[in-house]
Amino acid sequence: MKKLVALMMAATMTFSLAACGNQGGGGSSADGGAGSGAPQASVPAEKQDVSLRIWGAEEDQTMLQSMIDSFIEEYSDYANLTVELGVESEADAKDDVLVDIGAAADVYAFADDQVTDLVKAGALQSVDSMDQVLQTYAGKSVEDVKSANAAGAVEAATRDGQLYAFPMTADNGYFLLYDSSVLSEEDVKSWDSLLAAAEAAGKKVGFTLASGWYNASFFYGAGFSTVLKEDGGTELDWAGTSPDGYTGVQVVQSMLDIAGNKAFMPVADGDSANQIASGSLCAIVSGTWDADAATGVWGDGFAATKLPTFTIDGKQVQQGSVAGFKLVAVNSQSANVGWATLLADWITNEQNQQVRFETRTIGPSNINVAASDAVAANVGIAALAEQSAYGVVQTVGGSYWDPAATFGTMIAQGTLSRDDVDGIQAALDELVSGVSQPPAAE
Amino acid sequence: MKKGKTGLSAFFGAVGGFFKEFGESVAKGDLFVKLSLVWMGAGYIRRKQIVKGILMTLFEVAVLLFSVLFAGQYVSKFGTLGTVQQESVFNIVTMQNEFNDYDNSFLILLFSVFSLIVWAVALVVWFCNIIAVYRLQKKAEAGEHINTFREDLISLINEKFHITLLTLPVLGVVFFTIIPLFILIAVAFTNYDQNHMPPASLFTWVGFKNFASLFGGGGLTSTFGYAFGKILIWTLVWAVFATITTYLGGILMSILVNSRYTKFPKLWRTLFVITIAVPQFVSLLLVRNFFADNGIMNTFCAAIGLTDWLREIGVISTSYIPFLTAPGWAHVMIILINIWIGVPYQMLIATGVLMNIPTDQLESARIDGATPRQTFFHITMPYMLFVTGPALVTDFVKNINNFNVIYLLTQGVFVTTDQMMASSQAKETDLLITWLFNLTQSYYNYKMASAIGIIVFIICAVFTLIAFNKFLKGDREEAYR
Repeated sequence: MKKLVALMMAATMTFSLAACGNQGGGGSSADGGAGSGAPQASVPAEKQDVSLRIWGAEEDQTMLQSMIDSFIEEYSDYANLTVELGVESEADAKDDVLVDIGAAADVYAFADDQVTDLVKAGALQSVDSMDQVLQTYAGKSVEDVKSANAAGAVEAATRDGQLYAFPMTADNGYFLLYDSSVLSEEDVKSWDSLLAAAEAAGKKVGFTLASGWYNASFFYGAGFSTVLKEDGGTELDWAGTSPDGYTGVQVVQSMLDIAGNKAFMPVADGDSANQIASGSLCAIVSGTWDADAATGVWGDGFAATKLPTFTIDGKQVQQGSVAGFKLVAVNSQSANVGWATLLADWITNEQNQQVRFETRTIGPSNINVAASDAVAANVGIAALAEQSAYGVVQTVGGSYWDPAATFGTMIAQGTLSRDDVDGIQAALDELVSGVSQPPAAE
Repeated sequence: MKKGKTGLSAFFGAVGGFFKEFGESVAKGDLFVKLSLVWMGAGYIRRKQIVKGILMTLFEVAVLLFSVLFAGQYVSKFGTLGTVQQESVFNIVTMQNEFNDYDNSFLILLFSVFSLIVWAVALVVWFCNIIAVYRLQKKAEAGEHINTFREDLISLINEKFHITLLTLPVLGVVFFTIIPLFILIAVAFTNYDQNHMPPASLFTWVGFKNFASLFGGGGLTSTFGYAFGKILIWTLVWAVFATITTYLGGILMSILVNSRYTKFPKLWRTLFVITIAVPQFVSLLLVRNFFADNGIMNTFCAAIGLTDWLREIGVISTSYIPFLTAPGWAHVMIILINIWIGVPYQMLIATGVLMNIPTDQLESARIDGATPRQTFFHITMPYMLFVTGPALVTDFVKNINNFNVIYLLTQGVFVTTDQMMASSQAKETDLLITWLFNLTQSYYNYKMASAIGIIVFIICAVFTLIAFNKFLKGDREEAYR
């Protein structure tokens, strides 16, 4: 069946090509004067009927609909566009896309940790290959898209030198949320002073140790890295010595010191909002998604800043973090991949990132929008921007998460002891070998 | 076993007889029977069954057209599952990607299996056809009456009514069960995974490589053997406890509810059955939050001082009771929670069975002076076991594969501290099925999922066969009496 459809499509294409060829000269001159972003010679004279499907987060639906309306309006001279909007969580878009790539939406939003899997499956249309479309219709090049967005966001969307998605947000990272009525700006500068002040106030500081997304921040701070290997496994240098001269054992000892403090509370992955609501915390490492919960409990005291420094080998080291982004993909199997690219570009351009911030207070990846006064005034996003100087784009394989979560849990539950250097080294070695294997039976 | 053998030999006997008759038909058939080998309608038309002849001819033409126009292009690529990789060139004029004439491995597999089944059916029809026209020839030679088409149709609602009745269900089974099953089995012998995902890329046959990587060379992950052993033991422990506790609990509960000393039995029964009415994923997620490290139960235990006491005597080292987050605790809790979920079902079954215990036996036992306890152990329980034995076996197999309870109670909550387990993406509370789900589902590793599915099926099938043979030995009823 599919073959038949493909054949027929090929036939129609040939016909339409021939038709365009005939009209080529006349068509372009007729169109010449239309609009300011004057499309070039290759635009067909007749308006196409194009229908697209787009998936976005449930909370974004109203906003996306208005963006779609403006998109249809913007390109109404060139095509009769109809766009169907559907709901799909950005966090697990790939689960639904990879069931049947052909049946997935033409354009969808997703979190940057899914890029590797989607690229592997051939689900993403390379943005670089769409340069001509952007130049013709949107009046910009792929280079313009890259330079308009934060370098980290572009890096997160790039594999093998190809840009595979449009950067949309830069808010998928964590920082320190705290209650300024309990803690002073001085207190939150280092873990030592933070924990001491919290203990004095009878409160606790929350951190999600049982997740490789959070607990890697100590290692990143000390100069360690995570690298995605060719075979899909992850290469960690944590068992050795970092370029900054710290050993993995020293980092673990620092983490044990923090986790062993009475004022420290290990938070289960995904449980941060509940813990904030319980009222026993005065600070927690989390992201913009918990800003509402924090405002609810701490009221006007809610403040946010970059992560504190931690003591390692007697020195203060700034804790690193994972810089996370949300991206917009164009489906490689889309029947109207050109228009899909334009739609993806439209909902992520400067103007719409501004809209996204204004309506949903989502941190923009666009450099101009991020530099605006309004964004700088937002407590959470400003703290995130401050932390982003120490942020790392985390590219890891699927086999990274379980061993890393277990390692964090061992630190949280005190399974490792500070003085048992051999035990810590053995645990680090096991971690490194566990995450280095490619995902089950590739 | 004896019965099985006779069943098997009867089957092969029938198949042998079928081919014998076919051979005889071809050898002894007249010109038109022989012509039917090529033109399926020939024999019928010779015996003046014109409509049947036309139908058969149409069937033959349809199969030939299907083969040439549809099946051929897929089955011819079945050996390689396609060789032309998808490539696309963007055309700025149409704003579309123009694809080459690429192969889609999955469609080739799907339509090939479909075509093969159609051909198999056509082949059987072809064999039957020859036999049928030879029978017609013999009837004609003996001067017997030959049915008209109308009489044939009438026979379908009379003596051949079973054929009429079974046609639709059989078609349904073929389309919705057999074809998907064959495809899933076939996938286990391919490299269909994230790196070979149609339509963007091709997958192909790899023989027994998936099974080899499952069991040979240390398994799927570096600590596969270690994790597999631990998980297999827990799976069996879980299946035994989950089956026995709910079974006994159900019987006791039903005796309790049905006892003549119990007031408002219907009210109690309804209350217990409510746990069935609430979907499991709702109730289990609620219970999971209930027993979370900072859930209601922990708050309560801390308030009454139980948590501190447990810490003092050294049972726990954390500031909370790790109901669902530490091995041991979680294992016990899962079995306990499963009792709450599973008992109502068993209670309903037990109620039904208990009401059917022959009252004469109970009465004579009472007259003979048996105590209630003796009655229970010597009449009620043997009767229960006799009636529900097969259900018990299926329950056990179901519990081996009880995905819901384990997954909903532990996913995202339980983090193992055993690094060897973590390296295999396993945790202590995983059953084989949940572990393999995690291993394969998150990587779209369809080939491994299929291979593992076949293995799990074999384990369950072997167990079920053995258990059923034991429970359903023909003389069981005699032994009970």
